[in-house]
Amino acid sequence: MAGALLFLTATRASAQSDVERYQKLEAEVQALRQQMGAMQEQHAREIAELKAMLKQQVAAAPTQGETAAPPSAAQPSLYESFKHAAQQTATGGEPSLYESVKRSAATLVPEAVAGKGADLDLSVVLDTYLYHDTAGEAGPLPGRMSGFAGDGDDEGPKNGFNLREVELGLSAAVDPYFRAWATVSIEEDGAGFEEAVLQTTSLPYGFTLSGGKIKSGIGRLNRQHAHAWDFLDAPLVYRAMFGDEGLSDDGLQLTWLAPTPFYLLFGTEVFNGGNEQSFNVSDAEGLPSHDAPRLYTAFMKVGPDLGPNHALQFGLSALSGRSQVYEEDTGTGDAGADGDTRIYGTDFVYKYDAMRTHGEGDIIVQGEYFYRDQDLDDLSGRWVGLQPWTKQQDGYYVQGLYGILPRWRTGLRWDQVGVINDVQDPEAGDLACDDSYRLTTVLDWQLSEFSLLRLQAGRGWYATDDGREDAWEFALEWQVTFGKHPAHDF
Amino acid sequence: MKNTCVFLLAAAACLAQAQAAEKIQIVATTTDLADIARQVAGDTADVSSITTGREDPHTLRAKPSFIVRARDADVWIRIGMELEVGWEPVILRESRNDRIYVGTPRHIDASLNVLRLEVPTQRVTRDLGDVHPEGNPHYWLDPLNGRLVAATIAERLSAVYPEHKATFETNLHAFERALDAHMFGEDATAKLGGEALWRALLDKRLDAFLAERGMAGKLGGWCATMRPHQGKTVVTYHRSWSYLAERFGLKADIQLEPKPGIPPSAKHLAEVVEAVRARGVKAILQEPFYTRKAADFVASKTDARVVVAPTMTGGSAEAATYLGMLDNVIGKLSAAL
Repeated sequence: MAGALLFLTATRASAQSDVERYQKLEAEVQALRQQMGAMQEQHAREIAELKAMLKQQVAAAPTQGETAAPPSAAQPSLYESFKHAAQQTATGGEPSLYESVKRSAATLVPEAVAGKGADLDLSVVLDTYLYHDTAGEAGPLPGRMSGFAGDGDDEGPKNGFNLREVELGLSAAVDPYFRAWATVSIEEDGAGFEEAVLQTTSLPYGFTLSGGKIKSGIGRLNRQHAHAWDFLDAPLVYRAMFGDEGLSDDGLQLTWLAPTPFYLLFGTEVFNGGNEQSFNVSDAEGLPSHDAPRLYTAFMKVGPDLGPNHALQFGLSALSGRSQVYEEDTGTGDAGADGDTRIYGTDFVYKYDAMRTHGEGDIIVQGEYFYRDQDLDDLSGRWVGLQPWTKQQDGYYVQGLYGILPRWRTGLRWDQVGVINDVQDPEAGDLACDDSYRLTTVLDWQLSEFSLLRLQAGRGWYATDDGREDAWEFALEWQVTFGKHPAHDF
Repeated sequence: MKNTCVFLLAAAACLAQAQAAEKIQIVATTTDLADIARQVAGDTADVSSITTGREDPHTLRAKPSFIVRARDADVWIRIGMELEVGWEPVILRESRNDRIYVGTPRHIDASLNVLRLEVPTQRVTRDLGDVHPEGNPHYWLDPLNGRLVAATIAERLSAVYPEHKATFETNLHAFERALDAHMFGEDATAKLGGEALWRALLDKRLDAFLAERGMAGKLGGWCATMRPHQGKTVVTYHRSWSYLAERFGLKADIQLEPKPGIPPSAKHLAEVVEAVRARGVKAILQEPFYTRKAADFVASKTDARVVVAPTMTGGSAEAATYLGMLDNVIGKLSAAL
């Protein structure tokens, strides 16, 4: 009896608790249903939104229609949706996905940028300066240095305003195999190509072949355009051996970046030859004509990795080419000499990066040395003596620049040519030519990447054919670049 | 015996070299990209950066050692939007490594899928200063952009190295998880998921979302740190903080530079002082590589404090990683505000 009672109460109790459980479950199911309903609603809403969006996109950018993914019930990942949004904006379409998010219309890339079309970079450099020296009427002394005078016909700057050049630069990737650039220098007395180069972009094993009118890779300054120099003018040694414009000639250049753990570059060039200072050829009668190419060069550059603050590069150069001298009416008639010139050079540059902005605290020290050995034979026999015409000469410069403030630099350059200056002239015999030297200071202010003001003052002591002379040289230069500003080489 | 030893050593050296060579060589232009790429690529790659994080990325110059690094690179990653326009073209050209030229699959432009700010809507002239026609390139200061950059890198690496796809994806998710935890706090990220939180933040309903999920007030991370400062104004030297300000609801419309890339002038600084006083600005932000003179001048005339913080990974000891850099910036900024 007691057992039955116990059983009864137990079942009753369990029945009661069952009811409670059912009620609870029912409530839970109800809640779940509501939740699911809400979720379904949300899903439907989202799908509708997505569909609407897709339609809008297809309408906005019909060409994008094919690539647009079909709407899927699954929400795209955060990345996917942004990717989509970014691409939408890049093509100039209406951004819709995150329009609500971005207050600004900043995600729009203007069509001018998105669809640039043909990639032709155009840059113009305007370079003008005020010059004054105390050399007197005969003109600037660097053109009259003993032993070097008369090699070329560079007149140099005149006292007063000088428009050095308007340099027009064009560059582009030609196709997957070549890039090309041309630099046209427009001066007051005409225009000419400073460079017009076609260069390979995808030769294997680190080779690059260039052709056209090339600024030779010898030395350090030679490769740079005048407006990229740290001083207004070229060092005396460049002026004496290659002319104000440096060595630039028609030919081919092959360079090889060696697969070494440090920077090691070898290069060789074949040129027509014709540089007035060192590799002059004349078409005068009585002189043998040599077929081009008449000038060969070789150079190497090595740059160890010295960490983020330092950069160093050494270079060696050698040039060998035909050379001729021709003078009309030497007293006994025209006279000519024929032979060859060899030039050997070495250069270095060290740069310190202070890791402050706009060059503050940065240091650049660089120097170059060239030795020239010219050996010509008198062919006409009209010169009195029988000695050959020979020149053994050298020259160097060392310069340093320091960033005194952001955008402001000051620098000092020491120039010397003719430390060795042995000239043997068929007329005059051995000439003991003296050396010339110059000290130049510079202060430049890079107002922006595109404009530069430069003040330069120098004092030179020159050996000329009329004896030693000295002069002050002052210049105030104003240089601007517009159009595309090309990236700076090392 | 000696010869054998030498031979074995040489062989071991060769082997070590071969093993090292098997790793993908990734070169990134900046340390932030390098750190993100390192997180994504994991053990599959050796990652290095051209910059150290201490220099001004605008005014860097190409040098021979950079060219050698680009020559040996399998993959190149850049910030893009013309940040590296003054040096990247020379490095790539001189490297002669046509595998990483712009436009190839191994040249990754990290700006591809980021949210851009300050994209000029009219023709850009240089009269405006150093305005980038594709928008402000300092986008990595928005953690969301860091997240998008990581995904861009993972996607591109997977396309180039499909054999490592699974690794990249696993690493990407780990990075995203870590970034989300920094952004929203560990608790909220674990319970609600990073993507959901980002979406809610972007929809401007983060609070509502948290409340719905019973997590009201449980927000942590940078989001919580910066929350009390929403709507405040900061003065910055250069427009390099716009993305940080945008993400955390700060106003950063006053610069010490009168125009981007143009140094502060006395006249402009006088206007800045005026504005700082009028708006009660508390902080002047700048990177360590800029001179402090202008900032100190403004601070001396107002109640604002100068906050110098690197915006690039590696810019200081505390900013050794991308997330560490953001931690450092947000910590210093919130302390000053």
